[in-house]
Amino acid sequence: MSSDQDHLKETDTEARFEFKKEESSAFETEAGLTEETVRVISEDKDEPDWMLERRLRALEQFQQMPMPTDWPGQPDLSEIDIENIVPYIRPDIETRGGAESWEDLPEEIQDTFDKLGIPEAEKNALSGVGAQYESEIVYQNMQEQWEEKGVIFCDMDEAVREHEEIVKEHFMTKCVPPSDNKFAALHGAVWSGGSFVYVPEDVTVEMPIQAYFRMNSEGMGQFEHTLIVAEENSEVHYIEGCSAPQYATHNLHSGGVEVFVGENAHVQYSTVQNWSKNTYNLNTKRAIVEADGTMEWVSGSMGSKATMLYPSTVLKGPGATDNHITIAFAGEGQNIDTGAKVYHNAPDTKSTIESKSISKDGGRTNYRGLVHISDGAEDSSTSVECDALMFDNESTSDTMPYMEIQENKVDVAHEATVGKIGDEDVFYLQSRGLDDDDAKQMIVAGFIEPITEELPIEYAVELNRLIELEMEGSLG
Amino acid sequence: MSTQVHANLTEEQVQQISDELDEPEWLLETRLEALDALEDLEMPDVIRTPGRQWTNLDALDYETLVDPLEWEQEKDRVEAEGVDVLAWDEAVEQHGDVLEEHFGSVVDPQRDYLTALSTALFSAGTLVYVPEGVDAEDVKIRTTMNSRSLFNYTLVVAEESSSVTILERQSTGENVEGDQYYSGVVEAVAGENASVQYGALQNLAEDTYNFQVKRGHTDQYATLDWIEGNIGSRLTKTSVETRLLGDSSESQIVGAFFGHEDQHFDLGSRVWHEAEHTTADLVTRGVLDDEARSVYEGVQDVGRDAWDTNSYQRENTLMLSDDSEADASPKLIINNHDTEASHSATVGQVSEEDMFYMTSRGVDPESAENMLVEGFFRPVLEEVAVDELREDLEELIAARLR
Repeated sequence: MSSDQDHLKETDTEARFEFKKEESSAFETEAGLTEETVRVISEDKDEPDWMLERRLRALEQFQQMPMPTDWPGQPDLSEIDIENIVPYIRPDIETRGGAESWEDLPEEIQDTFDKLGIPEAEKNALSGVGAQYESEIVYQNMQEQWEEKGVIFCDMDEAVREHEEIVKEHFMTKCVPPSDNKFAALHGAVWSGGSFVYVPEDVTVEMPIQAYFRMNSEGMGQFEHTLIVAEENSEVHYIEGCSAPQYATHNLHSGGVEVFVGENAHVQYSTVQNWSKNTYNLNTKRAIVEADGTMEWVSGSMGSKATMLYPSTVLKGPGATDNHITIAFAGEGQNIDTGAKVYHNAPDTKSTIESKSISKDGGRTNYRGLVHISDGAEDSSTSVECDALMFDNESTSDTMPYMEIQENKVDVAHEATVGKIGDEDVFYLQSRGLDDDDAKQMIVAGFIEPITEELPIEYAVELNRLIELEMEGSLG
Repeated sequence: MSTQVHANLTEEQVQQISDELDEPEWLLETRLEALDALEDLEMPDVIRTPGRQWTNLDALDYETLVDPLEWEQEKDRVEAEGVDVLAWDEAVEQHGDVLEEHFGSVVDPQRDYLTALSTALFSAGTLVYVPEGVDAEDVKIRTTMNSRSLFNYTLVVAEESSSVTILERQSTGENVEGDQYYSGVVEAVAGENASVQYGALQNLAEDTYNFQVKRGHTDQYATLDWIEGNIGSRLTKTSVETRLLGDSSESQIVGAFFGHEDQHFDLGSRVWHEAEHTTADLVTRGVLDDEARSVYEGVQDVGRDAWDTNSYQRENTLMLSDDSEADASPKLIINNHDTEASHSATVGQVSEEDMFYMTSRGVDPESAENMLVEGFFRPVLEEVAVDELREDLEELIAARLR
């Protein structure tokens, strides 16, 4: 723990999160999106025919679907130029399947991850790193003991080839079909990279499984796909973190996450995303939870120009539980539209949503959520709590929850509060010797505590650091 | 599409309505412009969530519901001292300047298809004019609908430092068969330091389609309180709105509804904070039985210049039956950080513990549930400052209990 913090102190935070690499790519598809592009991607990955077919079907749906533009108060997506986003770039490394160990990584990539503090994280708590540099997993490390238990953690491209049956059953079929929304369809057509996690029955993965994603090439999209299948009575915690350098052209990130939580299984999915301030982050994340299973989403959304992300959970089996903890921070020029969706489709299901947002310097945060309780889902309960903190009068913060309740034996509660940072609180801290900036940082750190305490220490530190970075010098 | 009702409407019909009321040229123009606009206007906004629209207004057969020239109503207008409560033709005659100044200034006559339809066709109109400094209690308007369709319009103008309490009851007469359509627009202007309370109790027959917009502006230090009780109708789509335009003005919107059988209530409460030190309080409680469905949207919008805003919203729904459905969406839109705001919504059923407590003391389950429902409405009824309205509402609720 302390070594982590020491490392973080030594590193100049600015330098840690904003840096750019000289590109050297082995392979790029032509900018633009045609059937040809999709075929090339599929061919380059040696994919089986069924995957190519799914990609082409998704492309067709993508071309037919309208952009989501009629949501009240949604971010402006008109600047996204899908035609000029290169959907697929593979880093130039010798091994196609990824490096065996850290040392095998190209120096350039090692350096990238050094700045993100991955080696330290690895020393302390990593059980396996799937590091996505551009669109491919180039580094994977897996502790042997898990392999013995039958846990699979590999990159998605490999999974399509090596674990065909299970992928074919779960990949964009029941959970996130391409028809879900325009960007899910886009994702289905050009997805590349990402992680596959399979946890067999009765296996508990004690350590969090982690993956880092990066974008490092101007005008390039990222479409990684994460598929997690947790069988009966298993338990796993998956962490995805992002931190991207800044560029001047618009980037699009449109990932897909599918989680299958078996009976009585427990999956936690944590994200800290800090895409650069010119990125559109339009992800689709969904979990299906069987009887007595538990799904937990923990996410911190920091970066991006605009984010539209609503992790959703379908509580399919009786006794299933869902918890959402989200935090959004929007600074200058940012529009973070995020929330949660929960479908209660069985009796005795429970969900809690806890959402916190901070907006400053004209940033805009919005909570948009849906809780749907189907007829027959009796004795279900849901509670939604949204708190927003605002720093100044240029910022905005909205809350738009939707509740559809078709069952009477339920307990539904939603509440939201909005407030500015309290002068009294700041005064209290200042009178005890803190300066204005420190006082405000401390209040913010306290405000987001519910999120940080859910994260492993290095992520909590990183999240706090990121927020510090956002607040530095620009307060008052 | 069923919204083609305007295809059968003619300028002559509108002209005829306007002539009968002896309206000035500008008002006829406003009506005709609204008629023209029908071509391009959309239905009022309703909430959509993935895969569904919360209320489907397009499905109504307006063509058979709307009969512009055949309207019949009974109106009782009870004046209080110093206040003018006038039928539309009298209002045109006596207060033409007041109408010209305020008509269409609060509710955009062309805000959506149904409002424009109402603007073009309204024939039942009322003006409540409260001169400066007058304090009036007990203005009453009773509207009894005796025709297939009725388009009602009410304008409330309260001058500086006046106060007025208005109670409107809407019900259906004896001699109407089949489906009906009721459309009501209310505009309220609360001048500086004025206080307006507008209570409406809707108990229309349960084969009535009911569309209503109530909207008001507040000047400095003004108070505008709305109370809306919804008991009757087959389908109701209402929106109660206040724009807090003057510093230190306040608005309270209180709603109560009780739906049974296959009633559908789509209810909106909206408030815009556009000045400093404004306060809003939105409180709605409703009970649903049988297959009834409620849709609630509450919006608190805090503008850029609304420093020191206080804004609260509570919505609670009690479901008595497993076949009922309650949808709620309380929204907060905040553009000024100097704000204290909160909203909450809950949905639940009669608590088993409460039931057990009552039945263990010898109250039979049916009476126990009835008492609990009456108790559930209590916090809302306490917000109703007009005794008569509160008693009426209590009576209607009691009548509906099993």
